[in-house]
Amino acid sequence: MSQASGLRVIAGLFAAGLLLYPVVLTDPFYRDVGVTFLLAAISASAWNIVGGYAGQVSVGHSMFFGLGAYAPLLFYNLWGWPPIAGVPLGIAASVALALMIGLPTFRLTGHYFSMATLAVAELIRISAGTWGLVGAAIGLQGPATGRTWWDLTFRSELPYYYLFLGVLAVLLATTAVIERRRFGFYLRAIKASERAARNLGVPARRTKLQALALSAAFTSAAGSLYVVKTGFIDPDSGFGILVSVQMVIVAALGGAGTLLGPLVGALILVPLQTATNTWFGGGGSGLTYILYGGIIVSIARFEPGGLSELWARLSPRLRKRAHAA
Amino acid sequence: MLLEATNLSKAFGNFLAVAGADLSVDDGEIVGLIGPNGAGKSTFFNCLAGEAMPTGGRIVFAGEDLTRAPPEAHARAGIGRTYQVPTTFEDMSVLDNVMVGAFLRHPHLEDARDHARRIIEMTGLRAEQPARALGTPGRKRLEIARALATEPRLLLLDESLAGLTPGELRDAIALVRRIHEMGITIVIVEHIMEVIMTLTKRVCVFNQGHVIASGPPEAVVKQEAVIEAYLGRRHRPQERNG
Repeated sequence: MSQASGLRVIAGLFAAGLLLYPVVLTDPFYRDVGVTFLLAAISASAWNIVGGYAGQVSVGHSMFFGLGAYAPLLFYNLWGWPPIAGVPLGIAASVALALMIGLPTFRLTGHYFSMATLAVAELIRISAGTWGLVGAAIGLQGPATGRTWWDLTFRSELPYYYLFLGVLAVLLATTAVIERRRFGFYLRAIKASERAARNLGVPARRTKLQALALSAAFTSAAGSLYVVKTGFIDPDSGFGILVSVQMVIVAALGGAGTLLGPLVGALILVPLQTATNTWFGGGGSGLTYILYGGIIVSIARFEPGGLSELWARLSPRLRKRAHAA
Repeated sequence: MLLEATNLSKAFGNFLAVAGADLSVDDGEIVGLIGPNGAGKSTFFNCLAGEAMPTGGRIVFAGEDLTRAPPEAHARAGIGRTYQVPTTFEDMSVLDNVMVGAFLRHPHLEDARDHARRIIEMTGLRAEQPARALGTPGRKRLEIARALATEPRLLLLDESLAGLTPGELRDAIALVRRIHEMGITIVIVEHIMEVIMTLTKRVCVFNQGHVIASGPPEAVVKQEAVIEAYLGRRHRPQERNG
């Protein structure tokens, strides 16, 4: 079996596993873990478009996540509309914000973009915490019980699971198409050397802007999914630094700039987080920071390409050993 | 006239790296650019390729004023370049590297792939090989292939033949000749005089940011100003003889 067909079999098995997971594990706890995993995978895959493929490391993607989360509940709180009606507004606002940040910073090379994203996300978090219209520090609450089906308020985790899975499938399909198009080649070239890419005619600034806008749109959708599921948002859970850092770590752990890397990262990190939360309860909340810090140091020191690259390096050796045996 | 750079200058703060340099290149020429280290050749190249914005002067290519245009506009106009230190896309295969250049004139995937494969075959590389697995000669060849894939009218080669063994150098000279036979005009920066003598009919000597001599290589290398630029005043022929 060739490496490509082997990967296709693994991907097929993984997809089947995702489809059957909530049917096999019916306990609400496990289904909730499944939904959390999907949300982490969606957020990290969305970040991956600009951070992984184009190498433009945003450490403030929570601003798009937060806008996507706040907009639906703002629609509900102001006019009593179903939260889902606010999703397009969240996406539009995120894309507009992405362009506002990208237009000046993508003129420059280096870490300016990263610094700008971090600063803007913090600025928005602090502003949201003092702005009465969006509930200030208390945040916003969605409908406690579903008035109509459009409120998407379900007792079971099952509908959320498949809704999230559908969005993840659309995102991965979009990313897979990008990988095979000129746009994908341009993103990878910019990541490797923007200078050389531009000399080959790559419109680097426009390409980075498009990647950021697409990434912001999907991250905003992830925020909307989060709020549809939880029915609540406050400045920290929407715009907090941990939201951004989690996206970066999940993608980097699995392999930034690869299609399935963010899924692999989420598959490891989400159960790990769930386990630490379960074992240590509220007293272990600081452990998340320690865990994230440890992972950042380990990836940077031992495997900058993440687990996908480690696998790509080890798999030929393992196959050779299997053939020899 | 294909390229005309007039009174070009580039300053970094108070330091003038290129100081009023002129260069005219006719369609179909191979022009050599030589000069001691630090003479400003690479900065001049960067200006011609759009990577460094000139602080003075003018660049006209095929009738189009490119003085303040970005590098991608230079590529679209038909200027390709290589670097002194190869900057290949390390995580991509040779084919993918060349395809990035091919997309400029062939936006569709299959067209770009076919065009890239033709270039790779011509340059003697292996399409599926990862760029990071190539040695220095391979990387330099890949850079040439990538630039060729943009279908340039003018190719700027910045020491693309440096650091090669005699055998590799012969192959590289043959490759440059083949590229020239395709109708591509070439400006080559090189320290290896064998390359300059073999390939070019006209050479321009750079020193302290401007052209100090120009003409057939055999004649230029004998000029006093050129010897002085390379060896210093003490080694001028008449002083040694006297």
